Amino acid sequence: MRLKRTLILMLAIMIVVVMAACSKGNNGAKESAPSTESTASDSSPSASDNPSDSASESPSSTGLDHSQTLKLSVFSTTANYAGPQIGWFAKAIKDKFNIELDIVSSNLTGGDTKIAAMMASGNLGDIVIWGDDKNNYPNAIKGGLLLDLTKDGLLDDYGKDIMATYPKAIEKAKIAFGGGSSVYGIGNNVASNPSGPSEGKDMTWGPDLRWDLYQKVGSPDINSPTDYLPVLKKMQELEPKNSQGKKTYAFSLWSDWDGNYKMTLAKQFANMYGYDEIVDTALYTKADEEKYYDFLSEESWYMKSLKLYFDANQMGLLDPDSLTQKFDDVVAKYKDGRLLFSWFPWLGAANYNTPENIAAGKGFATVPFKEEVMYSTGFNVYGGNGIISIGAKAKDPKRIMEFINWMYTPEGAMLSAGSGTAVPNGPKGLTWDLDAGGKPFVTDFGLKAYADQQNTKLPEEFGGGDYYYGANQMNFSFVVPAEVNPQTGEPYDHNLWESSIKRNPNAIESSWREKYDALTAKDYFVKNNKIAVAPQGFTGKEPLVMDKTLEQKNKLIGTVIQQYSWKLVYAKNEEQYNKLKQEMLDKVKGLGYDEVMAFSIKKAEELFEARKSVK
Amino acid sequence: MTEPSILVHASKPKGYGRGSFRKLPNKYKLFLMAFPFLVTTFIFFYLPISGWIYAFYDFTPGIPLSDTPYVGLKWFKSIAQNHTQMEEVLRVMKNTVAMSALGIVTSVFPVIFAILLSEIRTPWYRKFVQTLTTIPNFISWILVYALAFTLFSVDNGVVNTILIKLGFIDEGINFLATNSNVWLTMIAWYWWKSLGWGAILYLAAITGIDQELYEAADVDGASRFRKIWHITVPGIIPTFFVLLILSIGNFINNGVDQYFAFQNAMNKDSIEVLDLYVYNIAFANNFPFATAVSMLKSLISIFLLFTANSMSKLIRGESII
Repeated sequence: MRLKRTLILMLAIMIVVVMAACSKGNNGAKESAPSTESTASDSSPSASDNPSDSASESPSSTGLDHSQTLKLSVFSTTANYAGPQIGWFAKAIKDKFNIELDIVSSNLTGGDTKIAAMMASGNLGDIVIWGDDKNNYPNAIKGGLLLDLTKDGLLDDYGKDIMATYPKAIEKAKIAFGGGSSVYGIGNNVASNPSGPSEGKDMTWGPDLRWDLYQKVGSPDINSPTDYLPVLKKMQELEPKNSQGKKTYAFSLWSDWDGNYKMTLAKQFANMYGYDEIVDTALYTKADEEKYYDFLSEESWYMKSLKLYFDANQMGLLDPDSLTQKFDDVVAKYKDGRLLFSWFPWLGAANYNTPENIAAGKGFATVPFKEEVMYSTGFNVYGGNGIISIGAKAKDPKRIMEFINWMYTPEGAMLSAGSGTAVPNGPKGLTWDLDAGGKPFVTDFGLKAYADQQNTKLPEEFGGGDYYYGANQMNFSFVVPAEVNPQTGEPYDHNLWESSIKRNPNAIESSWREKYDALTAKDYFVKNNKIAVAPQGFTGKEPLVMDKTLEQKNKLIGTVIQQYSWKLVYAKNEEQYNKLKQEMLDKVKGLGYDEVMAFSIKKAEELFEARKSVK
Repeated sequence: MTEPSILVHASKPKGYGRGSFRKLPNKYKLFLMAFPFLVTTFIFFYLPISGWIYAFYDFTPGIPLSDTPYVGLKWFKSIAQNHTQMEEVLRVMKNTVAMSALGIVTSVFPVIFAILLSEIRTPWYRKFVQTLTTIPNFISWILVYALAFTLFSVDNGVVNTILIKLGFIDEGINFLATNSNVWLTMIAWYWWKSLGWGAILYLAAITGIDQELYEAADVDGASRFRKIWHITVPGIIPTFFVLLILSIGNFINNGVDQYFAFQNAMNKDSIEVLDLYVYNIAFANNFPFATAVSMLKSLISIFLLFTANSMSKLIRGESII
């Protein structure tokens, strides 16, 4: 009898354990996510304290009680930092709202697999940040994982500023994803006024050249991208080796960012002609006209770029390690002064224009070509594709909504507008302040902090730590940094303040300004009307998505294109180049390129329709 | 029946649970001891099989299965949906088979290495070599690639620099971005990383060989090579066969890490094994497809394992299952 009882008892315990294990993880953890992940996600999200939300004990504009610390778990698909928010941003929101953030970053813990595991666990935490509004975000809505912000008057009572300043963003959220009435998330980089380019001081693309060498070879005129090659060749002859005796090159590519259908570095010239891809499709569309082309066609600057790199390789201008190195290796090469061309201001200038190099008269600067028409993202009143949501199981949605709302106000934006895409302004009174006339200016401490973010320590009263990690680590830009602050009449971004632009220019900036008769690169493109601003509109319908079968074909085609793109660049001669090109076209056709193209055209039509909404 | 209290240690109190456990017949005791492990095995190895159901649905994480459309064998069929796709799959299978076959052929390397190692008579030198060859096993493939890049990059790579300085070549050779000899270089990297680790089991097997056999051989005047051939090799053959049969069961599981780290546009045609292909195509957002492929893989693996096992029974008269 005893034996039986013991056995039954043990079996019962085991069954309970097994059942508990099943109900938690059986649909998510099966593929590859270790079981620890789903348990971790179970314990960490959800607010830790739940203060009574009825009576208002402490006076504040929304009448919410802030006496208890609210610990929020932020699941961010864009963050590159995991753990508790620290430093000046943590201090600011702790003082203001008594809120602490704990950031869960999928980028650092398995990427898409982590997102899938979190989704399958059924709890995404208190605040959820989506890098884009495709796939995962709509699926989370369908799965009931996100809170409807219109429920219980959340938006009406605690999101007043968003409702008043950015009503279009709410409208889009309702129509595109909320079945016409619900709001499950709010877009990033929102603007209140729809005209003009939304970039900061620099545009997204250059191209930038080593300004000192370009001047030494006589600053020749450049009409089209192919004209850069002879100029770069001369520059290379002038400085064949860097100071450490290593070879210099014009172009150094990297493959670890390839994805979304393409070799990452073959689309920039298309952007400089005012075209951009529609992500995951085979079309490039013009920013301000209803024009598009197949990106594998003869007229496409994707294909022309491959030819350009092929020619550059034949001329010895292309780094032979381009295919096998990683992005970090390229950054190191820019730092060492081994490269002469940069597609982006944030790559060449950001790494090479150190105080020492500038003092020696060396540095990168934008050298536009005559035909250039820079693609520019317009101000987006509907908000970008990044989304911030509140999790369905969040414990104190009112205080969370109040906090999110504040991030969209001038006060929140002056503190941290542009986090993730630009250097945020930081705390008032430390890195910046207002002058007697109410205009913002950067303090001396601010100049130092912005230039050397990781090595600038902050005083304890502002939260301590360094400037870089003290910034908002959610990696979500609430308001577009170029938006004008109604309180100061100047943009939120400190780079665009009049006081910043007029600060003493260095030798490179002076000679650049002289040649192009403009203050900044953006200024040049706008003044000369060499800019194509893409209006950021919205169709008023649910976005088109590929079905799973087509998605699969598309993915396969994308990997073929990526592979052949590299083979084309490193082809031995013209004959081999043409042969490989034909092979690629045949192969993608066999895999269903025509179907993808048909979908791409529909997607382009959707885009054109969306643009009409803001004209 | 006398109380079995004499079995209980006198100095310890006679607890209820302890006493009753002692009274159990041995077969139940053994069962109870094994029970936790049976349960863990069930949870971690059999329960996940229920996940196979996802291969038959258009599953997306976050949406309950009950709201997901049932698609039957769609994802299995999609593996070979048209001619071009079929060619891709065949190319991938060719790489998979080639890499596994090379792996099995070269699986004698750790055996030879272990024998050589055990023949070293200076203890500190043997330990030194063993440690040095075992360490790479603990380096991740991404770091191995970083090392490969420093050694073999065209520009300032150690190997190219030496070759140019010595005047063998004028221009750097791009060792990493080439489609020739990929299988061989991959297997070479594999053994560089795992040789020492793979030898550990064989070293243990060698230690287990009865020393009297060697002494007897000494008396008979056997040379060192004879002793290896007639005592050491037969002594570790069973271990070798067990591992061989297991590796045949793993024939189509090459893993992802190594090939993922080393893949690039130039060598992709030869380096893309099944696991990497599934990763490249399916893993980002297509769980049903990934599940379908891994299901097929499991079935093929089981088939291969049993085939190898019965072959072993047929040829050597013993099997592992």
